[in-house]
Amino acid sequence: MLLFRSEETVNRWCEAHQIPRRPLIDLNQLWQLAVHWYANRLTVESRRPGPDEMVSIFDSIGLTGPFWDPKSDQWKL
Amino acid sequence: MASEDLDTKVKLAVYRITADTGKVPTSSDVAGKIEIDEDDVRAAFGRLHAKRLLVPEPNDPSRIRMAPPFSGIPSAFPVEAQGKRYYANCVWDAFGVAAALHADAVIPASDGFSGEPLTLEVRNGQPVSQPYVAHFAVPAAHWWDDIVFT
Repeated sequence: MLLFRSEETVNRWCEAHQIPRRPLIDLNQLWQLAVHWYANRLTVESRRPGPDEMVSIFDSIGLTGPFWDPKSDQWKL
Repeated sequence: MASEDLDTKVKLAVYRITADTGKVPTSSDVAGKIEIDEDDVRAAFGRLHAKRLLVPEPNDPSRIRMAPPFSGIPSAFPVEAQGKRYYANCVWDAFGVAAALHADAVIPASDGFSGEPLTLEVRNGQPVSQPYVAHFAVPAAHWWDDIVFT
């Protein structure tokens, strides 16, 4: 995933690379993802969230739908 | 030592060395740190890869390409924290370095289209407000199909 100044530069990047426009997230949502994934990474307890846990984390910060579902088979790349 | 205990020991050593030095260690570095055979460390790297906790270099199992959120090679996502320069794998991981270290951080990033410099900052456990956005090109179900691209 990449960082952009604005939605406008996202759209220009998608057009230049012929990649479909996908969901955008703001910096507060990005920080929440970082904390959920990595805050305990230097500890014995650290582990990657499982699929259902991922859905729950995404849902808690407003990221819903099949794009954010690691078990979705809807997306053909 | 049971492989699970060994894997935990290796994982902790990888992250401890990275946090302390800013550099993701090799199997030799880890073997020296925890005093076990380097072959056992390389085997643990492989099992940690299967658990999606590490990504070894494709052609060199002694080196780590990604110990998320840290990158084993210089990347477009440097993170300045604790007086060191770390490298992250993507913008999510750049914030992840600050979250993992529980430290303030400055992240000299850039716009994915124009290359314009965009600085991110984490202060007192929160991101400094900016109107920037992150774009996820790959759906969650496919993140690990090609994790280096994702």
